[in-house]
Amino acid sequence: MENLEKQKMVDDLLPQQFGKQGKIWVAVLITLCVIGFAAYCRQLSKGLVVTAMRDYASWGIYISNFVFFVAISLVGSLITAVLRLTNVHWSTPLTRIAEIIAVSAITFASIIIIVDMGRPDRFYNLFLHGRLQSPIVWDVIVITTYFFISILLLYFPLLPDLQIMLKYKERTSKWMYKLYGMLGSFWKNKPEQFKITDKAINILSITIIPVAFSIHTVTSWLFATTYRPGWDSTNFGAYFISGAFLVGAGGVIVAMYVFRSHYNLKKYITYDHFDKMGKVVVMLALLYLYFNVNEFLVPAFKMKKPEEEHLRGLFTGEFAPIFWFAIFTSMLIPIMILITKKGRRPFPAFIAGILVVIGSWFKRFIIVTPTLLHPFLPMRDVPASYHHYFPSWEEWAICIGSLAGALLVITFFARIFPIIPIHETITETEEHEHDKK
Amino acid sequence: MIKNNYIVILLLSFISVASFAQDAKNDLSLNLGYYNNNNYTHYLVAHAKTKKDGRFQTVPDVTVSFYINNDSSAANLLGTAVTNDKGEAYLLMPPSAKDEWKKSAKHSFAIVSKASKLYDEAKATMDVSRAKLKIDTTDDRKIIVTVLELKDTSWVLVKGAELKVAVKRLDGDLNVNETQTFTTDSTGTITAEFKRDSLPGDVNGNLTLIAKIEDNDTYGNLTAEKVVKWGNKFQYVSQFDRRTLFARRGHSPWWLELLAYSIVVSVWGVLMYLVGQIRKLKKLGV
Repeated sequence: MENLEKQKMVDDLLPQQFGKQGKIWVAVLITLCVIGFAAYCRQLSKGLVVTAMRDYASWGIYISNFVFFVAISLVGSLITAVLRLTNVHWSTPLTRIAEIIAVSAITFASIIIIVDMGRPDRFYNLFLHGRLQSPIVWDVIVITTYFFISILLLYFPLLPDLQIMLKYKERTSKWMYKLYGMLGSFWKNKPEQFKITDKAINILSITIIPVAFSIHTVTSWLFATTYRPGWDSTNFGAYFISGAFLVGAGGVIVAMYVFRSHYNLKKYITYDHFDKMGKVVVMLALLYLYFNVNEFLVPAFKMKKPEEEHLRGLFTGEFAPIFWFAIFTSMLIPIMILITKKGRRPFPAFIAGILVVIGSWFKRFIIVTPTLLHPFLPMRDVPASYHHYFPSWEEWAICIGSLAGALLVITFFARIFPIIPIHETITETEEHEHDKK
Repeated sequence: MIKNNYIVILLLSFISVASFAQDAKNDLSLNLGYYNNNNYTHYLVAHAKTKKDGRFQTVPDVTVSFYINNDSSAANLLGTAVTNDKGEAYLLMPPSAKDEWKKSAKHSFAIVSKASKLYDEAKATMDVSRAKLKIDTTDDRKIIVTVLELKDTSWVLVKGAELKVAVKRLDGDLNVNETQTFTTDSTGTITAEFKRDSLPGDVNGNLTLIAKIEDNDTYGNLTAEKVVKWGNKFQYVSQFDRRTLFARRGHSPWWLELLAYSIVVSVWGVLMYLVGQIRKLKKLGV
């Protein structure tokens, strides 16, 4: 590969300053975060009474949001680990996008769970008085582990890129240059260093898969280990993992489209990437659909008395609009769009990705709240409002703020670091050219 | 003219049906039971029922007045009670009725519920002969129960009375052997063999025996109890420190601790090794 070509690649892939649209985007996200934080301050001062959660619906959209964040974070393991270990090279430009989605999502999953606790000053009780037998403690352990692995998996492949960026002092601000120096000034492109990082990435890729499976299985067990209609299922672990991979893949398609158009990366995130990711999403959507059929058809066929009210509530009752919206937007419509070659072009794929992400958020709500409103024992001696749940503005503001926060982390990361691995892309292009010769 | 007559007849019949519908009340059926527990506590129980859709249903919230001597005059009023969800109203015999009770060997009781919007007035009576049960035991675990009836001023033995002998348990009474009911002989006595070996008792091995006559037309419901040391001593074994999945913190099963901690240690061991590799990378870059 000629030096000019290499230089062009580096120029294309180095982090770019925010344009006008970028600044507006950041301003909107910061505003949403500030509103969310203000709502949280209000919740802190007045207590959880500002939410719509009461005796029965004690898990509302905070927990739905938590499950959503945990789910979308799984994409890190799918793109980075599974595809890397199976020698799939087309995913190289997408690895960093997937990893930063994973890191930001898992960070906000942890934050939102503290929000749901109501009293953050009691968080330490989870460690002081946590029972090893409780899936909640397992969740704390697994989330911390997954976060740490994701950070390492983001850091190791970044080292050669940091060295490249340090060469372009004039294109970076002072503090960014300092940051690059702090993180990667020791990288000298030595073969021994490459050997160590390659080995570390391989170890991490192997480690992250069981941890990723654990993180979402344990999250599913928070529900499945309790005896309630809709949660009393042996299918839950696999059901959650398949759904998590789907929303993660949908999220990556959305991010691919946004970065491709705004950072002008059409040469690096090509039609072929959308085509392949589109096929991945179709496969995952079909898999998730299969688990959904299992999850709902079997109990609906038996229609046991305690399950009946819950299932009718989902199929034709109070939650039917959200239930069918979630099924159609997260699975059926994306399958219909992405099953055709035309549908796997960037823009239709982006729309399908958006639908998957939005539908999946509502799907988590459907999993969490309706069950709580249909307990085995009848609801007695409670106000009529306790029989229903509609989130308060504080809950909406906090959840939207957390989603904006996650997007803000991704946005700032892309501003500071190359969103497509520079060194890996150059190396793979060289190898590709070498193979051609 | 004929047409007008039809209209008048129709109107009249509608009015009569409507007024009949307004006046229609359900029949309230009252039953009365007399209870004497352990020759000590006397009380009366009224049961209120009505027939709806061809089935008897219990009636709550019915105020029932209880009278002694089958005479619903104010002087004979023992008290009033309101039926509960099961349609039962309880009245303990008041101390004021003691003299009246002692006066005679036979008594009549009456219960009355006044007419209400839903029900007509209802009444029920019952006659009770004063009787008592005596329960005794022998060393070879036999239970001897004697039934006595008050005749004028003396207690006489009752022949041919049916009774049950059981051990009191938490969820009901357990027969002392395979015989369901016993009938008193000419001496007014029954003898029941205790065949419930190894039955858990309290911490001292105490069991409570109970002899009971149920729904007897002459005597009502009578019971007599006796505590015997025929049970196994119950020893409380605390589960508090046992290692179980439902135990408190720090008491999870060994297998879970071993599994969980070995996974955590091995995964974090790998991660710490990788952190060590970063230090190695730094050294190589110097």
